Order: sequence, then structure tokens, then C-alpha cells
Amino acid sequence: MPPRAGIGLRAPHYAEAWERHPPLPLVEVHSENFFGEGGQPLAWLERFASRYSLSLHGVGLSLGSADALDERHLERLESLVRRFEPALVSEHLSWSAIDARHANDLLPLPFTREALDTVVASIGRVQDRLRRRILVENVSTYFAFSAASLEEWEFVAEAVRRSGCGLLLDVNNIWVNARNHGYDPRAWLGAVDPASIEEIHLAGFESEEELLVDTHGAPVADEVWTLFREVIARIGPRPTVIEWDTRLPALGVLLEEARKADEVLA
Amino acid sequence: MKPLAEMQREFLADLYGESPLEGRRSVYRRNVLANLREALGAAYPVVRRLVGDAFFDEAADRYARAHPSASGDLHRYGEAFAAFLARYEPASELEYLPDVARLEWAVAQAFHAADARSLDFAALGAIPEGDRGAIRLTLQPAAGLLESPHPIASIWSANQPGRDGTPDRTDGAERVLVHREGFVVRVRELGDSEWALLGALARGASLAEIAADPAIAPTLAQQLPFWTSLTVIDGIGGPCSPPS
Repeated sequence: MPPRAGIGLRAPHYAEAWERHPPLPLVEVHSENFFGEGGQPLAWLERFASRYSLSLHGVGLSLGSADALDERHLERLESLVRRFEPALVSEHLSWSAIDARHANDLLPLPFTREALDTVVASIGRVQDRLRRRILVENVSTYFAFSAASLEEWEFVAEAVRRSGCGLLLDVNNIWVNARNHGYDPRAWLGAVDPASIEEIHLAGFESEEELLVDTHGAPVADEVWTLFREVIARIGPRPTVIEWDTRLPALGVLLEEARKADEVLA
Repeated sequence: MKPLAEMQREFLADLYGESPLEGRRSVYRRNVLANLREALGAAYPVVRRLVGDAFFDEAADRYARAHPSASGDLHRYGEAFAAFLARYEPASELEYLPDVARLEWAVAQAFHAADARSLDFAALGAIPEGDRGAIRLTLQPAAGLLESPHPIASIWSANQPGRDGTPDRTDGAERVLVHREGFVVRVRELGDSEWALLGALARGASLAEIAADPAIAPTLAQQLPFWTSLTVIDGIGGPCSPPS
């Protein structure tokens, strides 16, 4: 898979994306949208998989839960991975459930040794089950637990190193967190192993009073493009995905963002 | 320092709770409730249209607190909404609403149910004539049968995009089949003999039992090819198959 820019593909764009056949190195979809046993979603995925490299990006596994992973969820992911053998499989360094109750959101973890041990064990369990390496993504957060004993970038770098997974570096999330928590985004660049970064995400945030919120509902911000250029200058080009989820614009807008990313990656 | 499990239990309780949260944590509660409202609205677009956005969102938040999401896959969220609406006092005058919700849940499940097969006529023909009475024809995985004292199929159809919301019937019972034609989910009102046949098949009745049923027998010769051509009937369970 060439280190160029692809897009997060969402249902309202399927027909147009199939028709236009844009040259993309990969398309990324949310794994959970294909957990059904049949019907149109899986049929679309078969078509796109016949044309593009595929990235399955999960949002519901809750790697950071203090209790056990949901085995049924993992089973559905496994059958999807077996069926499509995607180029990339990823999840988030966050949690969303405890005691079988879900928030269906990417909730912040306290950056503690206990939480680190928890995510490392979960990633190991997932990689064993899928019999492949996965990538984990750093998430946007709106508050930090005071119990933290590690910095966020240390936590992420350690989780990746110890579990042997890859890193899906979300540059927008770094920027959002740097602003929300008052740190220098460049602290990340020295902390994470460049070789572990196998994919990059770009997306748009929105401001709510003092807070930046990762809504995936806006163009990539200028500051994030700048940070992206710095990251690429430092680690070299990587497969990059433009994500857009709320107030989805025309497909052409996403493709134009991907083209801009390609200029940086070229 | 609190154990991780305790921190997570407290935070999740806060997200589903109603007491005010400190500024930045409230962002998460707002996001969680908004996501769940959206997921519920995606499964129940007709209920949303019937009651209006404000009413729906209020009901959705109460539903979330009564029935928190139990899966990382939001497509599974909302299964108990019909039962919730049946007990939801502000909706008590809309007697048909819980049954419309039941229909919408069946529609949502049908959308990503396993694909129908085509009936294997060669296999059917190979069954010795003397054994044919024991054949149990099966319904496609997306098939759902619902019965209501209200005209739920008419209400559902009238509230599809592009329709003005005025149902062809405003009262009377309806029996409904939800099924999929290719990738398109259909909602179809059934006549008495249709309901009798499909209900019998769903219960695992054999061809001999069906042929002996006076509610079905007169129309059986028309119905079998019709439902088979729609792949509503899509499989053969043998004499040894347990009733579904």
C-alpha cells in the first residue's frame, strides 16, 4: 500500500465513490458498520475491497476497559477480518464500557500503570485472536484524570512498544489535546518510535468556548496541516486517512482534502 | 489512587446520570446522549416523525437512562424501545406507537440480516414423493411477522420519505410481513391466508400440515410460487430439521 492519502468512506458516499472511482491507496470504514450477517453494507464492502486496499477501523472494542473485552464483539470483528483480510485493522486507545454498559464513545483513560497494563493485555488478546498485528489510535480528550503518572505520549508509546502493535497517529487529536490540556504537540514527536507509526489520521475539530472538540465535522485546520508537515518531514510518508463523520460534505470535499495531504506526502 | 474499574464505573454512572457534571466532563455526557439519540433515531425514523424531534429526543434520553447501551455496536441499540414506549406516559395517547416501533425494529434488523438464498428446486425435486409431506419450507433470515390492532403497515408506509404522513387507513388491525427483496426492506400487509401460511412456516409446519389447514389449502398453489419468487420462502428444512 503506497504511503498516500485515502478517505474514511461513509454510507452516503458509497454510490458516488463507486461511480467516480477516485484513485485512492486505501479506503477506511468503521468495522461495526459491517457486523451484520448480510445485506447492502457487506455487499458494498465487497465491491470496495475488490478495488481498494481496505482499512477496518473499530470504534467499539473498548481496549481500555478494566473488565474483560466483549468476546462477541471480538468474534464479529474476527469474522470480518477473516472475510476481507484488510491491509490495516485498527482500534482506539480509550475505553467505552464497563460491566457490559456502553457509552459508545471514546472515553479518556487515566495515564496510570494500571491502565497501561490493561490496554497492553487487551491489545495482546485482540492480536492473538485476530492472529495479526493491529494499530491503535491516540484519541482526543476533554479532561485528564488527576491520577495520571505518565504523560499522554509516554502512555501511548509504552502501550505500542509493550504490546508490539502499530500506532495510528491522529495528528488532529494531538493538536486538540495539546490545546485542551496545555502542552506542546511536538512533545509527541520525540516520544513515539517513528517505525511504529503505520497510519496517520487527519480530521477537523470545532471550538466550543475554551475547548476544542474532535467532531470530524470540519476541514482539517491550518495548524493541523502544519503539524502534519512536521510529522511527515520527521518520519517520512505514511498512509493517511481523511476522516469526516458529522455533517458529511460532498465526496469531492473529502477527495480535495486527500489531495492536499498527498501534496505533503509526495 | 482509585482502581481503574472504580474510576470507570463512576464515570459511566455520571454519563448516564442526571446530576450536574463539572464543565469538561459534561462534554462527554452531551456527546454520549447525542450519539444514542442519533442511533435511536436511525432505527426509528417513523416514530421520530410521528412524535416530532423534541418529543423524540426527550424520550430517547429517558430510554438511554432506563436501557443503557449494551454493545459496542450501536446497530444493536434500541431493541427495548417499543416496550419502553408502551409504558412511557407522555406517549400514552398514541396507542399505535409501540407497535409502529416494533415494526421499525424488525425493519432495522432486516436491513443487515443474512442474505436470502434461492430455493433449491433440484434438491426439492430429488426428495422422494412419499417424503414430500414432511418437507418444512423455511423463511428468509430477514423475514419478520407482526400483528397489531392498529394499521401499522399503513402508518409506516405513509411516513416514508416523500410521503405526506397520511395513512390509507387510520384504524383497524393489520398483519405485516417484513422481508427483504435484494437489499431493499419491504413492509407488506398480509391477508388472512397469507398470514396463516407464513405463520405456519415460521413455526416449522410441514407441507402435509399446511395442506391440511383449511385456512391455507385453497390458496396454497398460488402462494407457494409467489413467496418463493420473492425469496420470502428460501430454504428447505428436511423432516429431521427441528421446528424453528
